[in-house]
Amino acid sequence: MNLLQYQPGNSFLHRLNPITKLAAAFLYGAACIISGNLFLVTALIILMILIAATAGLGGRALRLTRNLLILGALMFIIQLFFVRSGDPLLVTGGFVWVTTGGLVSALLLSLRVVAAMLPLMLLFAITEISDLCGALVKKLHVPYRYAFIVTTAFRFVPLFTSEFHDIEDAQRARGVEYDTRNIVKKVQLVAPLFVPLLTSSLRKVDAGAISAEVRGFNLRTYNSGYQQYPFHLADGAAVVLLVALIVVSAVL
Amino acid sequence: MIQFNECSFRYQGGSHNALDGISLTIEDGAFVGVTGASGAGKSTLTYAVNGLIPHHFSGDFYGSVLVNGLDTVEVKPEELSRFVGEVFQDIDSQMVSSVVEDEILFGMENFGVPHEEIGRRLQQTLSLLGIEELRRRQINSLSGGQKQKVAIAAILAMRPDVILLDEPTGELDPESSVMIFELLKTLNREFHKTVVVVEQKIMLLCSYVDRIILMENGHIAFDGPTAAVAGEADLFRAQGINIPRVTELGEKLTGMGLYHGALPLTLDGGEKMVREVLADA
Ligand SMILES: Nc1ncnc2c1ncn2[C@@H]1O[C@H](COP(=O)(O)OP(=O)(O)OP(=O)(O)O)[C@@H](O)[C@H]1O
Ligand SMILES: [Mg+2]
Repeated sequence: MNLLQYQPGNSFLHRLNPITKLAAAFLYGAACIISGNLFLVTALIILMILIAATAGLGGRALRLTRNLLILGALMFIIQLFFVRSGDPLLVTGGFVWVTTGGLVSALLLSLRVVAAMLPLMLLFAITEISDLCGALVKKLHVPYRYAFIVTTAFRFVPLFTSEFHDIEDAQRARGVEYDTRNIVKKVQLVAPLFVPLLTSSLRKVDAGAISAEVRGFNLRTYNSGYQQYPFHLADGAAVVLLVALIVVSAVL
Repeated sequence: MIQFNECSFRYQGGSHNALDGISLTIEDGAFVGVTGASGAGKSTLTYAVNGLIPHHFSGDFYGSVLVNGLDTVEVKPEELSRFVGEVFQDIDSQMVSSVVEDEILFGMENFGVPHEEIGRRLQQTLSLLGIEELRRRQINSLSGGQKQKVAIAAILAMRPDVILLDEPTGELDPESSVMIFELLKTLNREFHKTVVVVEQKIMLLCSYVDRIILMENGHIAFDGPTAAVAGEADLFRAQGINIPRVTELGEKLTGMGLYHGALPLTLDGGEKMVREVLADA
């Protein structure tokens, strides 16, 4: 969760329109997926980390890359044994385990996954969810109802966890021992907590719905929001750059 | 003006009436406290005023409730919320935003307050509650007292005539509780809002409100001016509501034949009583 948290700032990236940021993250990811060039994909990962660094998020980008690389490695291993084309690389007892084609396609796939996910995850670091939803409602006329559901879900995560710890503490006070290393035992202990957690969460959601209802939620239109999300020259420039990137990666 | 006419309500699946034949009138500009044991129906009473009963909570509704002459059964809750705002009992789950400013904007945006007016009202509301510096803060990083002020601000920004508050000091320390009641007093006295506050801390109620309603199992066990509470102390004790200590002291002094005046409800009144007793001695 921490790696996805919004980090306030006033950098060039921060100041872009939320919709531009969303589009840019997708376009960048698309460029990485379209490209069949290993070196370009690697370069795009490095470039993304550098771009993130301009918003003071270099460290975060590196940590995200590391975590995504672990995921990538997993996909690499699976892909390695499934694709068989080109020359055999690893042969034991007459059975071909790995081929050159498999190696290249596995490497490409896993790097593409890393490269495409990275900008999407960094999006959350430079955009507040409420701004993203607000802009989607105001500019793209996404129904407010959906935007509200998304922002509420994000808001509830910390409430949910603190509630969980409260219940856990209450149980602990009754002598339940949670600090066990045995994973099966731990699951057995924690599972029953989900019922009270769910009931209390549903009650909270209902209370939230009531509070929204009596404050005129049903009267809201896409134009109700006070916050404006104007597009600037920089937004246009960013989109042009990204379209160019897509063209380049499609050609290379 | 709020008018209950023989109003009863039973929640769907409920075993008894949460409201049971309530008749009462609350005049414009009143400052009323509602108290009673847990489950007495205090929250339900507030829901009857803002139309959540019967529009949101289903059940059997009898009698009628009129708010500014509008029958709550006939108009929708959002229509009523132009006159009535409620700060709910659960402080956290009534928030709809993560940032203070957005929370206060929410109602104004929904009701289509013109955008130039919204900015002005936001500023006014923040400064009235003294929370200008919280404007860009994350709500979940605030203290209980600050959250309570934000919740009140979110309601005030919609400019309702009537403000309902359901145990606004439930999770606050004594100091913040006093602060909230001072604020309610200002809203009532200077801004002429009708304030109805549900509160368990009887001492606080007695020090601020003009009229107290005691609820018991869905009906009204006592309804009168605050000064009359002392004379009916047993009614309150029967509901597990602790009578102010100064009142108990007054009862003791009266019992001992040392004091013959009206029983005090506030610290000031208590001081006056003690001075009288000492002067006589
Ligand atoms: N949503 C509901 N569904 C069914 N019954 C309910 C519901 N809400 C409240 N009740 C019942 O209605 C009665 C009055 O509840 P209410 O919440 O109004 O009491 P209260 O005086 O506000 O109590 P507290 O001091 O605990 O907040 C109680 O018996 C309660 O169990
Ligand atoms: Mg209640």
